Amino acid sequence: MKVSFNLLKQFVDLNCIDSQTLANRLTFAGIEVENITPLAIASNLVIGKILSCVNHPNSDHLHILQVDLGEKYGISQIVCGAPNARKDLKVIVAMPGAKLANDITINKSKIRDVESNGMCCSLLELGVERKFLTEKQINGIEELTEDAKIGDENVLAYLGLDDEILDINVLANRPDLLAILNLAKEVSALFNRKLLLEDLKVDKLAKTDFKVESLTDKCKQFSIKEIHNIKNNVSPKWLKQFLMASNIRSINALVDIGNFVMLVSGQPLHMYDLDKLKERKLVVKDNYEGDFVALDDKTYKLVPNDIVITCAGEVMCLGGVMGAKCCEVDDESKNIVIEAASFHHANIRHTSSRLGLSSESSNRFCKGTNHFQYDFVLNFAAKLVFDICGYEIAYENVTFLDEKYQEKIIVTSLSEINNRLGSNFDLNQVISTLESLRFKIKIDGEKLNIIVPDFRLDITCSADISEEVIRYLGFDKIKDELPTLPQSVGKMSDYLAKNRLVEDYLINQGLSQLLTYTLVNETFSKQFAYLYKGEVYKIINPLTEIHQYVRKSLLPSLLETLNYNLNHQNKDVLIFETSDMITDSDHGVNLAICLTGKMFKQGLLKTDDVNFYTLKGLLEGIMSLLGVAKGRYGLARNDKISELHPYKSALIMVENKLSGYFGKIHPVYQEIMDIDKSDDVYVLELRLDKIYNLKTSMTKMKPISKYPYIERDLAFVIDEDVEVENIINVVKKAGHPLVDNVSVFDIYTDNKLMPKQKSVAIKLIYCSRNETLKDDKVNQVEQNIIDMVEKKFKAVLRK
Amino acid sequence: MDNNLDLQLNEALKRIKEVKNDCLVKDFLDLKNDILGKKSFISEAYKTMKDLSNEEKKELGAKLNNIKEQLNKAILEKENEINKYQLEKKLSEEKIDITLPGETFTQGGVNPFFLVKNKICDIFLNMGYEVVDGPEVESDHYNFELLNIPKDHPARDMQDSFYIDENTLLRTHTSPVQARMMQLHQGKPLKMICPGKTYRRDNDNATHSHQFAQIEGLLIDKNINLGHLKATLELFLKRLFGEERKIRLRSSFFPFTEPSVEVDISCFNCNGKGCSMCKGSGYIEVLGGGMVHPNVLKMNDYDPNQYSGFAFGVGIERIAILLYGIDDIRRFYTGDLKFINQFHKKGE
Repeated sequence: MKVSFNLLKQFVDLNCIDSQTLANRLTFAGIEVENITPLAIASNLVIGKILSCVNHPNSDHLHILQVDLGEKYGISQIVCGAPNARKDLKVIVAMPGAKLANDITINKSKIRDVESNGMCCSLLELGVERKFLTEKQINGIEELTEDAKIGDENVLAYLGLDDEILDINVLANRPDLLAILNLAKEVSALFNRKLLLEDLKVDKLAKTDFKVESLTDKCKQFSIKEIHNIKNNVSPKWLKQFLMASNIRSINALVDIGNFVMLVSGQPLHMYDLDKLKERKLVVKDNYEGDFVALDDKTYKLVPNDIVITCAGEVMCLGGVMGAKCCEVDDESKNIVIEAASFHHANIRHTSSRLGLSSESSNRFCKGTNHFQYDFVLNFAAKLVFDICGYEIAYENVTFLDEKYQEKIIVTSLSEINNRLGSNFDLNQVISTLESLRFKIKIDGEKLNIIVPDFRLDITCSADISEEVIRYLGFDKIKDELPTLPQSVGKMSDYLAKNRLVEDYLINQGLSQLLTYTLVNETFSKQFAYLYKGEVYKIINPLTEIHQYVRKSLLPSLLETLNYNLNHQNKDVLIFETSDMITDSDHGVNLAICLTGKMFKQGLLKTDDVNFYTLKGLLEGIMSLLGVAKGRYGLARNDKISELHPYKSALIMVENKLSGYFGKIHPVYQEIMDIDKSDDVYVLELRLDKIYNLKTSMTKMKPISKYPYIERDLAFVIDEDVEVENIINVVKKAGHPLVDNVSVFDIYTDNKLMPKQKSVAIKLIYCSRNETLKDDKVNQVEQNIIDMVEKKFKAVLRK
Repeated sequence: MDNNLDLQLNEALKRIKEVKNDCLVKDFLDLKNDILGKKSFISEAYKTMKDLSNEEKKELGAKLNNIKEQLNKAILEKENEINKYQLEKKLSEEKIDITLPGETFTQGGVNPFFLVKNKICDIFLNMGYEVVDGPEVESDHYNFELLNIPKDHPARDMQDSFYIDENTLLRTHTSPVQARMMQLHQGKPLKMICPGKTYRRDNDNATHSHQFAQIEGLLIDKNINLGHLKATLELFLKRLFGEERKIRLRSSFFPFTEPSVEVDISCFNCNGKGCSMCKGSGYIEVLGGGMVHPNVLKMNDYDPNQYSGFAFGVGIERIAILLYGIDDIRRFYTGDLKFINQFHKKGE
């Protein structure tokens, strides 16, 4: 909220307190002043009177003025382009050296060969916002009235622009601070200063037969005041200035009075032209359905739960939001009805957001208003109407009230307050604090019965009282000690700990850890959607269709990032992401990896293109890191994932269920993703939760043989479709228990010498735990292995 | 005779000495044979022994042994010299360019988001907190109701959150995990933090993101007060931003804490003197917290008359932006490796 420092001064004694001091104190008390800005920015101004105005000989629009600047500065020549510059006009002159808004500095100069010693200003040039100015004020220089004193250098004060604006961030629980009066009460408490509220003298009010009624519990209080024989007017200067400082445009006296009362009291007002009402009764309803022509000449469709104020069945006002055109107060209005009501915040919020009508008034209703200040508010408004528009008769307030004012009493105690705060305040400190904040306290033994002032809608329990105490007395008063609790061992949930392991492992292998958005577009939501049961969640109120679905796979987003990098000259992209995943009937944790380009062995000297086996190696590394034995997961040929190259990809099976996949992306999919054909892109996606859930056992040491091992190599020519793992399994079985390890060390194909076949060379390590192996024993086992492999795979041993 | 032997010895020693270090092995062996072999002067001299008297034998024997020893020693020294030279030569031929790049064991870059997340988690782990998680798709009951944000509260405005249906939304903060953990611990003391992704219906720009992340902290026990929160956060923030940081609390408002505070640290850019980073105030706002609202305790099975607690929430991106001077929140999500690869795991 923008608060005029000058206006605040009208309500609380701020003598010798500058705006910065005020702002600091308020901020620490929870009323954050975000910044302080001067209402106008200008120095070196003086009021002058144009003595003569002649046309500039070298210009069709410039004038040469002789301006009387009073005793101190004498008469000065100024070249001026304003169309309204003329003899005898009193104007604002910016002297050489003056600094104006938008960093403009005024210097002595020659304009088309004629000397000019300053500038005649418009309010725009002093930093006043355009919206507060008329067309004439914008296009020309400001025309001062006769009361302006020639030679007066305190021009901003004369103009009422010597104000500072405090931008206050009003917290959601303190809507009462949207009223200057309540802010003044805070300030008076925090600085121990007097409130400057004149008692409102209410003249004797006439009796009225006007009736009000509410048929909905969404309006528990509805009050009006009837005033006769007014003359709507232009607002006086002081009112316009305060409104401008509060960022509100002046319209006419009645509208301005309504806004001013709202600024001061927080209570929005509405005014009806009494002569346009069909009967002397207003009824509040929330069940109206139909069209409504509002003040802005637009027609709105109203639905039940919009609060309306009706007269003879017709809607006169959309409560808290906007009045009806048909009973609008205008310049001709003579007799008016002023309304001060309380509407349920949620209804106003729904209505104003549905219709896109939000205003200072509706905002205040949305946040909550004080239900019990209607008499003050209406009398205050009436007084202003009398002062500005005059009136013949003001009538008694007429009120519908469905809610008795009940004092809110909170029971607490000094120890309760100190215990919550970790403080050592004594009773006097607490009581004087609360009393200065306008609470009333009754002491009952240990108990404190605290009566909450009616404008403090936020105070509901003892904890709230402790907050009042500490924000007033200062957080530096609390003791500073660590909780003394039984020792506890910090721990991460199993899944978070394992995630950290996997992430660190991949980072250590040179992959970069990324983060992409959870919400994706519809297309992405359907790609790689294999690992989770159920439907993707769809956002019913997305901001953009790019972020509308809760993703089922990380790969589309990660591939998009990969492509972003390729398009931004990052050629070798080795990236991964881990993330929680959720659908309407499943949830888990995914790892996704995308690789393209090279992995580096030694700078650019030695590099390897990433490939299928890069991913397989990373997968095996992760499994081994997590202690998952080889037998607990397996790979299968990809017959399912259409986004992957069918012959350069594999499914990761855990307990016979699909839990991941990896491989090269399918050229068709690559094109869909708009990734350049020349880039080979490999991806992996794995449900880590399925892996984390696998049983692992503590590592137990295996005895190490003390006898030497024997190394032998064998090579077989074998059908090209036979998978090496099968051969190794057969070798292991045939060589059991002497074969300790089998590994493949060469694959060789030669289409001419052995079409459709390949040579597989394996290294075997023989070892016994009981004796030193002799050659003949190894030969015997080796023969067995050769026989088995030849028989099983129709293979031939290479000699 | 004696003189002759001495001459021959000197002659042989000279020959040995004159052998060049890069001589052929064969040449050296020939020389060795020449000097110590069967036909060498020394072998010849030994042969003369048989004709001598015992006394003379003894004298000559000693002399010859001495000559042989000298020759052996000279040969051995020469051999060592040659070997050393040859080895040196061989090694020099193996010379490499030490300026070529080392073998690549580099670590991948880490989105600073994770650096901050892990760092914060580790600090609280070391303080004995449990690190937990919770679902990103939440019911409004957990996201709002149980946190003292009743129906019709402005914070529940549909337009501020992403809804799946009327009662389900993407969580707008990590605070619902407070409620979940309280219910799980059923009125027993509790000490947890929860990192997690959160979502709000904001348009993405340099300072706003529809997705961001928080770390929620919660501690409940008997006799917990605001001083405990202050001390805990002070410890945490000093570890994160440096021991010389000062912290201060300002009154604030969150529906689920009372009293609520904003926590500022003294600016680490200017040490509190005032600069552009702290907008001249000397302090930077880093997180919010407060004493758990009695209603929240009550709704989640704790007796507020027996138990009290504190809670706080830290924005991960906000901290990363401050710590690393990052200019745009979208950088965390764009994944440009030119950005990501500036950051690595460090044992800071």
